Amino acid sequence: MVRRAEAFRAKQGIDLRTGHRVEVIDRKRRVVQGATREGQGFTQPYDRLLIATGAAAVNPALPGADLPGVHRLKTLEDGRRIKALLSGGGVRRVIVLGMGYVAMEMVESLRALDIEVDMLKPGPAFMPWLAPELASVVHAELGANGIGVHTGLRPQRIEAAGGGLAVVCPDATLSGQMVLAAVGVAPRSGLAQEAGLALSVANSIAVDPTLRTSDPDIFGAGDCADAYHVVTGRKTWIPLALRANRTGWAVADNVCGETVALHGVAGTAVFRVFGLEVARTGLNIAEAGEAGFEPVEATITSSTKAHSFPGASALWVSAVGDRKKGRLLGMQIVGREGAAHRINGAAVALHAGLTVAQFFQADLAYAPPFGPAWDPMLTCAGQLLKKM
Amino acid sequence: MNFVVIGGDAAGMSAASRAKRNRPDLNVIVFEQTRDVSYSA
Ligand SMILES: Cc1cc2nc3c(=O)[nH]c(=O)nc-3n(C[C@H](O)[C@H](O)[C@H](O)COP(=O)(O)OP(=O)(O)OC[C@H]3O[C@@H](n4cnc5c(N)ncnc54)[C@H](O)[C@@H]3O)c2cc1C
Repeated sequence: MVRRAEAFRAKQGIDLRTGHRVEVIDRKRRVVQGATREGQGFTQPYDRLLIATGAAAVNPALPGADLPGVHRLKTLEDGRRIKALLSGGGVRRVIVLGMGYVAMEMVESLRALDIEVDMLKPGPAFMPWLAPELASVVHAELGANGIGVHTGLRPQRIEAAGGGLAVVCPDATLSGQMVLAAVGVAPRSGLAQEAGLALSVANSIAVDPTLRTSDPDIFGAGDCADAYHVVTGRKTWIPLALRANRTGWAVADNVCGETVALHGVAGTAVFRVFGLEVARTGLNIAEAGEAGFEPVEATITSSTKAHSFPGASALWVSAVGDRKKGRLLGMQIVGREGAAHRINGAAVALHAGLTVAQFFQADLAYAPPFGPAWDPMLTCAGQLLKKM
Repeated sequence: MNFVVIGGDAAGMSAASRAKRNRPDLNVIVFEQTRDVSYSA
């Protein structure tokens, strides 16, 4: 939702200055300096400062990435520009670089406009962070919707060719009228770094649970800052919207003299790929291993509705536990319905630090339209218990 | 007291709005480089 700057100024008494880019944080003088879009310089003193500069879409490091027709989708402005180009009708085939959730959302919008789509990524595995069985369900969904999915294709350059664009790889060349790059995001931490503030995972700004940076008068919130992971207790960088909103609130309270300390993130996320919901929380088996756990994984197929209830379809659940202490470490769910909100039950269990055995005891809701009597998460936890 | 915010989206505008609500006497100044304020909170 977009609101006008004037509305904030008038209704809330916030002095919102759009078209103002901050270029320097001068901690000695306690001022920020920058320039407007018209090139006018400004200087503003602060008592408390919040850096909430977000994340930026990574540029594909490829010759030709700056050609007209190569776009990234990060800002509202990007979205408007791409939409205008697509509605022109000249774009019949689009090549999408990347296979993360933003790429998945892009291809769905493109197919809705009847545009042909090829997706590619250099790595050999499709969605390597998902349990293999769940990843193959998502892969099949893309195929069923006419998307060309090319893993293990490393683009070498982008060329203008025949009035369109060609993405040249060692063994193949893909062509179309537009290239959309969704190869990841990076924290916008340059201002903080130049001001000498401590950085953390993936170059995000290091903040404590009260969101203070290494300078106690400067806070960091949202996609530009790091967080503690509630499962590992370690620093992580998972840029998502709820955390951005929540850290903003906590900073406000702390600036106003309260002490609000946040617990951290569980990495709970969900997105849609055509007719599928893909949801996760916590650690996958590889992440759990890296964090020093002794991980065990179980994957099951259950149902979105009670057996024999009309309209049922498959629901895939995968869960990871720690053999040493029995703790539940993560869960992933894929299905046509019932994955997105179900995952939140597992997320709360991670915050509470439940063992797999404790989770298996949870009293979960049942009625035939919503699932089997044994919720699919419980069935999965039961299988996981047997392996532990 | 000047509370200065760099970035006028989810995190920055959440902080600015709540700070002003907590303490109406606070001077809250937000710098946003684009012309948009896409505030979804
Ligand atoms: C296509 C897309 C889909 C997404 N879908 C989801 C989803 O379904 N669920 C979810 O949880 N998250 C989603 N996200 C992520 C979510 O948008 C972010 O987590 C959230 O916007 C972070 O808010 P933020 O305020 O920290 O940063 P941002 O939204 O990046 O805002 C930072 C702001 O700071 C401004 N700025 C930066 N530097 C300066 C400077 N030097 N001076 C002045 N202003 C500056 C920028 O212009 C920007 O407006 C999605 C992101 C994208 C791109």
